[in-house]
Amino acid sequence: MYLCDVLQHPIVASSHSPLTMAVDQGASSKLPGLLVSLGKNESTKTLLKVIILAIIAAAAVASRLFSVILDPWFNFRATKYLVANGFYQFWDWFDDRTWHPLGRVTGGTLYPGLMVTSGVIYHLLRFLTVPVDIRNICVLLAPAFSGLTAYAAYLLTNEMTTSSSAGLLAAAFMGITPGYISRSVAGSYDNEAIAIFLLVFTFFLWIKALKLGSMLWGALCALFYGYMVASWGGYAFITCLVPLHVFVLICMGRFSMRLYVAYTTWYALGTLASMQIPFVGFLPVRTSEHMPALGIFGFIQLVAFLEYVRSAVSSRQFQTFMYVGLGGIFSVGLLGLVGLTAGGYIAPWSGRFYSLWDTGYAKIHIPIIASVSEHQPTAWPAFFFDLNMLIWLFPAGVYMCFQKLEDEHVFIIVYALFGSYFAGVMVRLMLTLTPVVCVAAAIAASQLLDTYLQYKSPEPIESKDEESSDVTAKKASKQSSLRSASQPVVGIYNVLSKAFIAGTMTLFLLIFVQHCTWVTSNAYSSPSVVLASRMPDGSQHIIDDYREAYQWLRQNTKEDAKIMSWWDYGYQIGGMADRPTLVDNNTWNNTHIATVGKAMSSREEVAYPIMRQHEVDYVLVVFGGLLGYSGDDINKFLWMVRIAEGIWPDEVKERDFFTPRGEYKVDADASETMKNSLMYKMSYHNYASLFPPGQAQDRVRGVRLPDQSPILNSLEEAYTSENWIIRIYKVKDLDNVGRDHAAAASFERGHKKKKAIKKRGPRVLRAE
Amino acid sequence: MRSLVSFLLLALVAAVNALSASGGNRLLVILEDVAEKAGYTKFLGDLEGRGFDISYETPKSESLSLFHLGERSYDHVLLFPTKAKGWFLSDTFVPYPTCLGPNLTPSIILQFINAEGNILLALSGSTPVPSSLVSALLEFDIHIPTDRQGLVVDHFNYDAASASEKHDVLLLPTPGPLRPDYKNFFGLSASGKSGVIAFPNGLGQTLGQGALLSPILRAPAASYSYNPKEESEALEDLFAAGSQLSLVSTLQARNSARVTVVGSADMLSDKWFDASVKKVGEKTSVKTLNREFARAVSGWTFGEIGVLRVNWIEHHLNEAGQSNASNPKIYRIKNDVTYSISLSEYSWDKYIPFTVPENDELQLEFSMLSPFHRLKLNPTISSEDSTTYSVSFKLPDQHGIFNFLVNYKRPFLSNVFEKNTVSVRHFAHNEWPRSFVISGAWPWIAGIAATVTGWLGFCALWLYSAPPAKGESKKKQ
Repeated sequence: MYLCDVLQHPIVASSHSPLTMAVDQGASSKLPGLLVSLGKNESTKTLLKVIILAIIAAAAVASRLFSVILDPWFNFRATKYLVANGFYQFWDWFDDRTWHPLGRVTGGTLYPGLMVTSGVIYHLLRFLTVPVDIRNICVLLAPAFSGLTAYAAYLLTNEMTTSSSAGLLAAAFMGITPGYISRSVAGSYDNEAIAIFLLVFTFFLWIKALKLGSMLWGALCALFYGYMVASWGGYAFITCLVPLHVFVLICMGRFSMRLYVAYTTWYALGTLASMQIPFVGFLPVRTSEHMPALGIFGFIQLVAFLEYVRSAVSSRQFQTFMYVGLGGIFSVGLLGLVGLTAGGYIAPWSGRFYSLWDTGYAKIHIPIIASVSEHQPTAWPAFFFDLNMLIWLFPAGVYMCFQKLEDEHVFIIVYALFGSYFAGVMVRLMLTLTPVVCVAAAIAASQLLDTYLQYKSPEPIESKDEESSDVTAKKASKQSSLRSASQPVVGIYNVLSKAFIAGTMTLFLLIFVQHCTWVTSNAYSSPSVVLASRMPDGSQHIIDDYREAYQWLRQNTKEDAKIMSWWDYGYQIGGMADRPTLVDNNTWNNTHIATVGKAMSSREEVAYPIMRQHEVDYVLVVFGGLLGYSGDDINKFLWMVRIAEGIWPDEVKERDFFTPRGEYKVDADASETMKNSLMYKMSYHNYASLFPPGQAQDRVRGVRLPDQSPILNSLEEAYTSENWIIRIYKVKDLDNVGRDHAAAASFERGHKKKKAIKKRGPRVLRAE
Repeated sequence: MRSLVSFLLLALVAAVNALSASGGNRLLVILEDVAEKAGYTKFLGDLEGRGFDISYETPKSESLSLFHLGERSYDHVLLFPTKAKGWFLSDTFVPYPTCLGPNLTPSIILQFINAEGNILLALSGSTPVPSSLVSALLEFDIHIPTDRQGLVVDHFNYDAASASEKHDVLLLPTPGPLRPDYKNFFGLSASGKSGVIAFPNGLGQTLGQGALLSPILRAPAASYSYNPKEESEALEDLFAAGSQLSLVSTLQARNSARVTVVGSADMLSDKWFDASVKKVGEKTSVKTLNREFARAVSGWTFGEIGVLRVNWIEHHLNEAGQSNASNPKIYRIKNDVTYSISLSEYSWDKYIPFTVPENDELQLEFSMLSPFHRLKLNPTISSEDSTTYSVSFKLPDQHGIFNFLVNYKRPFLSNVFEKNTVSVRHFAHNEWPRSFVISGAWPWIAGIAATVTGWLGFCALWLYSAPPAKGESKKKQ
């Protein structure tokens, strides 16, 4: 079942060429020769655009095919279930293979957009008698949608500027920028795969609706907003950004009937649409994240009403009316919001939301959110890594928007501002920033290219303009600087400067393409379950412990054997090993995760009853000490401890896992709590026996370990993979003759039970 | 058709289980010397009469092996006291006490129990207990006096006829149930005879706190245990006294394997079967009930009584208009379900219906992490070899993976632990009542209807109203 067909794209070079071509074409579409010969009539231009867009889409797809590995498995599993059982079954799906023994009301707790999209495509292709496996659709969905995203970026950019080269550039940028590729390579079957397309397209429709004041476009926008809600939790970004845009426009005094029609249509229909998703339900009227949209909806009614009143009554009366009316309504609204929040009718801001404002918040209050690497604040190099030259073109593009400052440009500015902030707070939100960066950068780049790739210098008009401006300048202030600027030594229309700028831009674009290809092939195309390393002779060595271990589970354990592991591996175990898990990547129940954390971080005597209560059969840990694989459970261990401490502060204490000097150690100096924790014992069980005496070494932490490996009583080693990355332990049954596990294990090891009872203390009498 | 086949198959499996539930009949008797069996002819004869296929071995025998190719060679082991000399020597040289030879080490004994073999262990007050047995018993939390030797005496309750000097033949009434709600297998009330149990020359044990241990026969209040080898006049360190001293104790392992320690091997000997004894201070002598007691103890140990069998378990939906198929994998919250379990009890040679003792209950738990329901199972159908217990109830308003759990573990009855896992799902989207059924929704429905009609009416009015004539409008302005 496991999808391992690594679709090795025919080397870097071949995927390199279409990209280069695409960008070059994008740039060269304005090249003089082409323009002169082909760009004369409209139909040729359209044809060219279509061809270029098609090539961009092809490049976008091609650059995502470096290596293919399906992940996350849950979505794939859900899609298979959808295809096999139909939509209604999927809707009511109760999954009893995860979150044992709670189960998961999957149909009501997921965003079904992704699966339904794949399902629809599958059935459509079947209808067209194309025999296709649902797996292939799942694998290729993200690249296919990246092509559409490129097109959506083209449309959005075209709304911003009249220059059509900007749109094409934006499409090209969107297609290959690593910030987006990171979540949309082939096989990356996650919600973001389609959500980014929907995000960009919804924004395009919003701009369209706003520009035209059209109810139809507003309704279309609401429709795609509904689709977006069905697809990704990130829809809240749209829910907040659009009202914000409206608010800024109103504050700028740009209220118009166009705005009113577009917003009210979008809000009313969009909210209704979003409430149809079971997982969202009544959230749009109950949670604080959705309150801006509701508030602006009310506000825009007020503003519209005021406009009407202003046109009807005299200005003096209107002023009093406005002060009294507005003040009253605002205070009533605010009081109402506070009251409802205090009364619990509106949920307070969720923790994930707080962590957007205070990056330290999550670490203290909600470790489960902070423990995800995607939720960490972004490091500075990541911006350059993911966006390359776009990052410095981006402010220029935003500046261009300030120059024109139509309603739609305000949107780009607002989006840019908030997108950058959020991307700085959370690595994951780099994804929402990427579209606006592409659009803004394309505007800037096209401005440059449009200016410098003009073959003929528009001398007469320009000089006239300059003259006139000169005249006005003289009249105004008689500044000499302007005059000197009007007679430049090396001017814009100089062939040399044109060639230089065009050459530089071409170079930058080429470097950009090269960077994108390099990043994609090296950083974003390596699947997390198969590790690749280089041997000393340079040949590639594949470390395949994960799949090896999951296969072992699949073949050697009972169908319903419950596997306990940290939640990171939940989806993989569920998908690849097909065994029920206690917790998985859908971290909906913090307490359940904390329970697993507690079991992992407690002594065996404490952990065993927990495992027994949860009917755990096997425990799986990831241990990188032998190989130097740093993403192992010991390195994640403190998060387990913190999450457990959040629920049981009296029983699990983070401080106890540090040495008295405050160091996190695993060697002989490790604290007693650390040494006795189940996780430590499972990781290092029998590890020292692998080395000659005194040389046991942990290659991740780089420390020498004690010769005596920890002793496990209530678990027995069931399986250890080739490189010791995955270790699986079987939970022992209760002892048959009623001993505790320590006694039973010590008997097994051949120690004779000490006869020593009593002598000191009173006799313990048997009651019955 | 398929159900019939599966039923037949089930019945077949049940029948096979029935043969093995009574424990099989391969009995190994280990004696110091095979010739010693002459002293126990009645006891062994009784066993043979009940169908046991007895083999005799000595601990020193090379061929003695409880396992063959990883499988048990015998179903039951009966171990008489062995007086092996020279075991002190071997004890010093090998890590394990091998006084019973390399074929009966503590770990082999434990292995035998883990493989559901039963052991009846007869000890004696005059023979030191082999140290490998002491180690094994320690693992069970059954304690033997220090120096592996001890003798139970009672100066107020002895057989005046045979032990007027040593006071080491205790005369005991037949034991009552351990607790009022336990079944009493050793009361011997069925035999109809009255009498006492003679416990001559016995070794007392004390039991730990484990729930798997239970004494069959406890020493009377005034008895105590001492080491006859010690020369001192006064007893310095008392091992145990009174009812803390267990004379016949049992361990029923979690897999229902049974171990019984009989403190006095002599009580099983021919001499004390049907002997006449006279309690001190009483005039008349009475017959001993040792034969009946030995029958009960050996019968229980070797799985002839007190073995429960689960014939079948069935649960189904109990709602009108729904398919009530047996044992579905999934239910919905708030479903009405019925759970039934059929139980039989093996009694010497046949299965009889199992009846729960008075004051006790057979309970069903419906649990996820912790029980959501704990209900009494009531007997409903009774056939000649089984009783069906069942209960109907409404599932809790909580979805998840639940277990129907019957966890009936009582001393002297083999363990019943039956877990049937089912998923309990939430309401599907079309299982809720429709809005028009809920009276509270009527105002809203009326509101929607009013809005729709109002909107349509307005549109109609708007479309079909002729625009006012220009002249009029000018006049108005």
